Amino acid sequence: MSIIAKLLWVLLGLFIILNWGLLMGALIRKIVARVGKRVGIRWYQPWLSLPMLYSTRSSISHGVMYYLGPVFRLSGGVGIFLFMPLIVGSPYFDNFSFAGDVVVILYFQFFGMLGMALGAGEGGHPYSTIGISRGLAQFTTVEVPLTLAVISLAIQYDTLSIKEIAAAQQGGITNWTLFTNPLATAAALLSMLGIFRHAPFNLVQAPNEIPIGPPTEYHGTYLGVLRTNGAILHVIEAVLFMNLFFGGAGNWIELIIKTFFIYFFTVFIGVVFPRFRIEQSVVWFLKVPLVLGILAILFMAI
Amino acid sequence: MVTPIFIIATGLGLAFALGFIPKKHINLTGILSFLGLAFMTFISGQWLFSYLGNNELSQFIFTAGARPPFAIALKMGQAEAMITLLINVVGLLSAVFLYDKLKQIGRNAFIIYLVLIMALNVIVMTRDLFNLFVFLEITSIATAGLMLLDSNLKTLSAGFKYLLATSLIAGVFLIGTIFIYSFGGSLFIDDLTAIGMAPLKAVSVAVFLLMISIILELKPFPANGWGLDVYQTANPGISSVISGGTATAMLFALYKIMPLSTMQSYDILIWVGLITFLGSNLMGLKQSDARRLLGYSSIGQIGLMISIIGMKPYIQFDIQIILLAILITHLMAKAGFFWLTGIVGNTDISKWGMIRKHPEMLFLMGTFVFALIGFPPFPSFFGKWQLIMELSSSGHFLWIGLILLGSLIEAVYLFRWLGYAIKKETATQSSIDIRPHKTLPTIIFAVFLYGVGYLASFWFPMGGSINWLPLAFIAILFALDFLPAWIKNIISIAGLSYYAYQIIPEQEGLYLIFAFIFLIGGILTLIPGFTNKGKRIGFYPVAMMMFVGMGMLIEAQSMLEFFFGWELMTAGSYFLIIRGHRSMPHALSYMLFSLGGAYLIFAAFGIAFAGSGNFLMSGLSTMGGLGGIAYTLLAIGFMTKTASLGLHIWLPGAHAEAESDVSPMVSAILLKAGVLGLIITFMAMGGPNNEYTTLPYVLGWLGAITALVGNLAAAFQEDAKRLLAYSSIGQLGYILFALAMMTHLGWLTGIGYSLSHFAYKAILFMGIGAVVLRLKTHNMFEMGGMIKKMPFTFIAVLMGIITLAGIPPLIGFAGKWLFYNAIIEKGWYFQGTIIFFAGIIAFLYCFRILYAVFLGQLKDEHRNVKEAPIWYLIPQYLLLLSIMIFSAKPEWIFQPLGSMLAPIFPQGQLVWNEGGTAFSDIGYWNGSWVMYIIGIMFVMIFAWLFIQNRKPKKVKQFNIVYAGEKPERPETTHMAYNMYSGYNKALGFITANGITTFWNWISEHVTAMGDSLRKIYSGNGQTYVFHIILFVIIVYLFSNGGF
Repeated sequence: MSIIAKLLWVLLGLFIILNWGLLMGALIRKIVARVGKRVGIRWYQPWLSLPMLYSTRSSISHGVMYYLGPVFRLSGGVGIFLFMPLIVGSPYFDNFSFAGDVVVILYFQFFGMLGMALGAGEGGHPYSTIGISRGLAQFTTVEVPLTLAVISLAIQYDTLSIKEIAAAQQGGITNWTLFTNPLATAAALLSMLGIFRHAPFNLVQAPNEIPIGPPTEYHGTYLGVLRTNGAILHVIEAVLFMNLFFGGAGNWIELIIKTFFIYFFTVFIGVVFPRFRIEQSVVWFLKVPLVLGILAILFMAI
Repeated sequence: MVTPIFIIATGLGLAFALGFIPKKHINLTGILSFLGLAFMTFISGQWLFSYLGNNELSQFIFTAGARPPFAIALKMGQAEAMITLLINVVGLLSAVFLYDKLKQIGRNAFIIYLVLIMALNVIVMTRDLFNLFVFLEITSIATAGLMLLDSNLKTLSAGFKYLLATSLIAGVFLIGTIFIYSFGGSLFIDDLTAIGMAPLKAVSVAVFLLMISIILELKPFPANGWGLDVYQTANPGISSVISGGTATAMLFALYKIMPLSTMQSYDILIWVGLITFLGSNLMGLKQSDARRLLGYSSIGQIGLMISIIGMKPYIQFDIQIILLAILITHLMAKAGFFWLTGIVGNTDISKWGMIRKHPEMLFLMGTFVFALIGFPPFPSFFGKWQLIMELSSSGHFLWIGLILLGSLIEAVYLFRWLGYAIKKETATQSSIDIRPHKTLPTIIFAVFLYGVGYLASFWFPMGGSINWLPLAFIAILFALDFLPAWIKNIISIAGLSYYAYQIIPEQEGLYLIFAFIFLIGGILTLIPGFTNKGKRIGFYPVAMMMFVGMGMLIEAQSMLEFFFGWELMTAGSYFLIIRGHRSMPHALSYMLFSLGGAYLIFAAFGIAFAGSGNFLMSGLSTMGGLGGIAYTLLAIGFMTKTASLGLHIWLPGAHAEAESDVSPMVSAILLKAGVLGLIITFMAMGGPNNEYTTLPYVLGWLGAITALVGNLAAAFQEDAKRLLAYSSIGQLGYILFALAMMTHLGWLTGIGYSLSHFAYKAILFMGIGAVVLRLKTHNMFEMGGMIKKMPFTFIAVLMGIITLAGIPPLIGFAGKWLFYNAIIEKGWYFQGTIIFFAGIIAFLYCFRILYAVFLGQLKDEHRNVKEAPIWYLIPQYLLLLSIMIFSAKPEWIFQPLGSMLAPIFPQGQLVWNEGGTAFSDIGYWNGSWVMYIIGIMFVMIFAWLFIQNRKPKKVKQFNIVYAGEKPERPETTHMAYNMYSGYNKALGFITANGITTFWNWISEHVTAMGDSLRKIYSGNGQTYVFHIILFVIIVYLFSNGGF
C-alpha cells in the first residue's frame, strides 16, 4: 500500500471514529438526561456545536503554552488513534500500529494529558490546577490495575502487540479475553472507570463545584479542538479495551456496538453511584482492582 | 658520618651549656637551641639517607667502649634513623612554633625542651632496659615541666596528674626490668632475645610488666584520663610533641621489646589497641573542645598502631612499612592540627568558622582531617589498605570490622568539625594568629603529607600504577586559585578535555559509556561556571578532584586504584556539596554515608584479595567461599552512592542545597559512579547464570520500592531542587531494579536509563538551578509564570520532563518500553508493577515542577527577571540536541549498547530490522516512526488551530473567569502550595520519615554511649591512678585467663 493510500485510509478511519464519537457522546448525554427525567439534547447537537465553536472568531490567549494546550490534547487523542489497529485482520484500518505495541499507547496517553495540563496551567486559573492535580493523582492509581491486567495479557498471549492479542481472540466469543482471562478483564474494567472519569471518579472535573477552569478558560476554537478530541478519545480508549478484552472488531458495526457498550458501562456506573472524594478514589483502585490484577497475573503465571 | 651518640651529646651538652648564657641573651639561647635541634635532625637524616641507599646492617654503638652488660648499647638502624628523624623534625618545628612562648619563659624552657627531645631519641635508640627506664622518667619529668609553660591552675593540675601517672607507670616498668635482669642476667634487649629466656611464669610476668607499662605510656583506653587532660590543657606546641614525638618514641619502644614476649602478648596488644581505637573515638563524638578532641583522636590512632604492632604475627607483608605509613600520617597531621589549634586560638570547635577568613588555613585543616581519616593521597590510605588486605587474607574479619568502625566514628567528629569550619556562622570577630613562625611548621607538615603520600604509594604493591598526573593537575589548580574564576574554568575544562581525550578512546564496552558520562558530563556541567564572577575560591580543585576520581574508576586496573579513585571522588564531592548555603549538615551526612559505604567496599575488596591472591579488579570474580557476603557488602557500599532506600537520607539535602551548577554534577554524574560500581559487582558475580540468586532478587525489590518512595516523596516537595533530588532517588531505584534483573533487556534498560538520566537530570538541574539563581528561592510556591521570563529554560525543562516521564516520542519512552519487555521476560511482575506505578507517580512531580515554576501566576517582584545566563543554556541545549537525535534514532544508541552487552548476556537480545524497529520476544517499537507520526500530526493540528484562530487577543495575567471578581494577588491565585494534599492524605504514609528516624536513633544512641563512657574521667588524680592499676590487673587476668 502506498503511503498516500495509507494516509487516505487513516483519514477515513479518523472520520468514522470522530463521527461515531460525536454521536455516541450525544446518545450518552441523552440517556443520562432521561435517567434524570430530563429531555436532553438532540442527537445531532454535536454536529451543530462543533462548527459553531470552530467559527467563533473572538478568542484570547494567555501565552504560547496556553495556545498549545489543546494542540497537545488533540495530538494525544489522534496519536492514540494512529497507533491503534481498529479492525482485526484489515490492512486498511490498522493505522500505524506497526510503529509500536500497547506500551506506546499506554504511555502516549500522557502526551495529551500533560500538554493540556500545562496549557491550562499557563491560563493561571487556580481551579484548573486543582482539577489537574486531582486528575493526575487519581490517574496514578487508576493505571495500576490496568498495568497488572496488561502484564497478565502479555503472559497469556506472549505478546504486547494489540493486533496479535485481538487476532488471538478470534473464532468465537469464548476466545475473548473476557472469558479466557476474566480476572484481568475485571481489573481492567474497574480501572477503566477511572480512565473515563464518570462518577464516582469525576471529582477531577467536578462539574458542579468547579463551574470554571479549563472548559471555560478554553472557549471558541480551543473548545472545538477539545470537543473534537473528546469524541475521538472516548471511542479510541474503548477500542483499546475492545481489542484487549472483548475480541476486537471484525468490522465497523461490531466496533460501534462494542465500543458503545464498553463506554456505556462506565456511564451506567456513574449514573448509579455518587462521587468519591479524591483521597477515597485514589485508594479505591488499590483495593479490589489491585487484588484482581494480582490474581490475574498469578493465574496466568502459574 | 656523625655518630648518633652526638644526638645525645648535642641535646644534653647544649642543655647544660645554655645554663651559662646570661638570661638577657635569650635570642642567642634560642638560636643555639634551634641549631642543636637542627643538628640532631641532621644526624638522624644522614643515617636514614645512608640506609636508603644500600642495605647496610644496623649500627650498634657501645658506650664506654664495652659490650653490654658492662655498658649501654644504642642502635641506629634504618628504623631508628627514620623514627628519630621524625621525632627531631617534630621537635624542631614545634620549637619554631613555640618560639615566642619559650622565649617568654626564658632559657629554662629551652633547656627542658632540648632534654625532652633528646630523651625521646634515646628511648628510640637504646637497647638497654634500664636505660629505657631512666629516659622514660626523664621524658615524663621534662613533659611535665613543659606543660607548666602555660601556668594556670588547669595545667598545674594536669601536670601533677601526669607526673603521678607516669611515675607509677615507670615503677611498673622498673619492677619488670628488675625481674628480667634476675632471670636473664642482662639488660641488653638483643642478648635477652638471643638467649631466649626460661619459660618461667615469672619471666612472662616480668615481660608483661614491661609491655603493659609502655602501653600505659601510650594512654590506652580507659586508663588515660591523665593523658587527655594533658592534651587539653598543654600548649598546642607541647601537645604536638606529645602526640607526634613522645607517642612515636613509645610506640617504637613497644615494638622494640615485643620480641621478648610470647605470642599471647601480641594478642594483648591487638585487643588493647582496638578497644582504645574504638573507645577513644566513641568518646570523641560528643567532645566540643578542640584540643581534647584531638587528644581523643590521637589516643585512638595510637591505639590503632598498638594493635598493628600486635598483628605482626598475622601479617605477611612488612609490618614496619604499614606502621610507618600510618605513623607518619598521624604524626604530621596531628602535630599540624595541634599547631592549628594554637593558630586559631579558640578551642570551641563550633566557633571555628573564623578560620575561613584565611582559606589557606582552612586548606591545611582539610588536609589534616582527610589525612587522619585515611583518604588518598595520604600515606595512611596506603597503610590502611595494605593492613586490611593482609588481615583479610589471614581471615581476621572481626578486626577489620573494628578498625573500619573506629575510623568511621573518628570521621564523624572530624568532619563535623571541618563542617563547622567551612560553613558554620560564627559571631566572634576575633582574628586568628597567622604569624609566620606559627604557620610555617603547619604548612611544612601539610606539604610533607602530600609528598610522603606520593612516595608511600611506591612502598605497596600496585601502588606504583596510580596515575599521578591528574593529581598534579589538581595541585596546580590549588596553586592557581588566586586567578579569576573564568580563567580557572577554562583551565579546568581544558584539563578535563585532555583527560577525556586520554581515557575515552582506550575504553570499550560499558566502561566507555561511563567514561563518557563522567568526563563529557563533567565538561558540560562546568560550562555554567562561567557565570560566576570573582574567584570562586576552592571550587575548581575540588570539582576536578571529583571528576578525576571518577576517571580513575574507569582507568583502574587494580582494586587499589579503584578505591583510590573512589575516595578521591568522595572527597571532591564532599567539598562541592558543602559549598551550598545551608549544606553543612547534609554534607556531613553525605560524607558519613559515603565513608560507611566505602568501608564496606573496602572490606569486600579485602575478601576478594583473600580469595584471589591479587589486587586486580578481576580478582572480584574469585571471592572464594565468602562471595555472598562480599558481593552484598559491595552492593550496599555502592548503593550508598546510588542512594537506594535506607541509604538515601543524605541525598535530598545534599543535592538540593548545593550550588546551582553543582547540583547537576552531583546528581546527573556522581550518582552514576554508584551505578558503575553495581555493574562491576554484578559482572563479578558472574553475569546471567551466577550462583548468587538471592542478592539480585532482594536488590530488585529494593530498587522497586526505592523508585516508589523516591517518586512519591518528590511529588510532595515544596522545594524545586529537593523535588529533583527525590526524583533522582526514584530514578536510581529504576536503574538498580533494571540491573538486578540480570538479563540482557534488564541491563539494556538500566544502562539506557543511566544515560538518559544523565542527560535529562543535567538539563533539569541546570534549568531549575538557573531559576533559583534568578529568583533567589527554592520554594515553588514563591515562583510561577517564569515561562514568559525564561522561555528557553522552559523549553529545555519541558523536554527534560517529557524525557523523564517516558512519554513518546522522546527517548525516555525507550526505558518504559524496555521495562515492560524486560519485566515480563524476567517474570518480576509485581516488582515491575511497582516500577510502573512509580513511573506514573512521577507525572505528579513532573507536572508540579513545570506548572509551579513556569506557569501559573507571575509574581510582582519577578516581573523584571531575565532569561537564564547563556552559559546555563548552552549545555542544556547540547544535551537536548542529543536527546532529540537519539529519540529520532534510538537504534543509534541501543544497538551498540546491545552489542556491548551481548558478550555478558547473550540471551534475549533485541532484534533490529532495517527500518529501525526493535523486536523483543513479545513486543516491538519503532522510535523513528513514532517520532515522525507524532511530529507531523502535531504540526498539522497546530496548523489547523492556527488557521482557525489566527489572532487571539493577548490578555493580562488576571484576565481569567473568576466569578466576575478580580483575583487579589498572584500569591493567592498561584495554586502551588501543598498541591497534592488529597494524594498525600491517601498515600503520604509511604513516605513517612521512618528511615530518617531510624538513622537518627542510631546516631543518638552511639553518641550517648560515647558520652556515658566519658563519665569515667572524673578529673581526680587518685581515680586515674586507680584506673591504671585496675587496667594492669584486668589485662593480666584476660591474657592469662585468671591468676
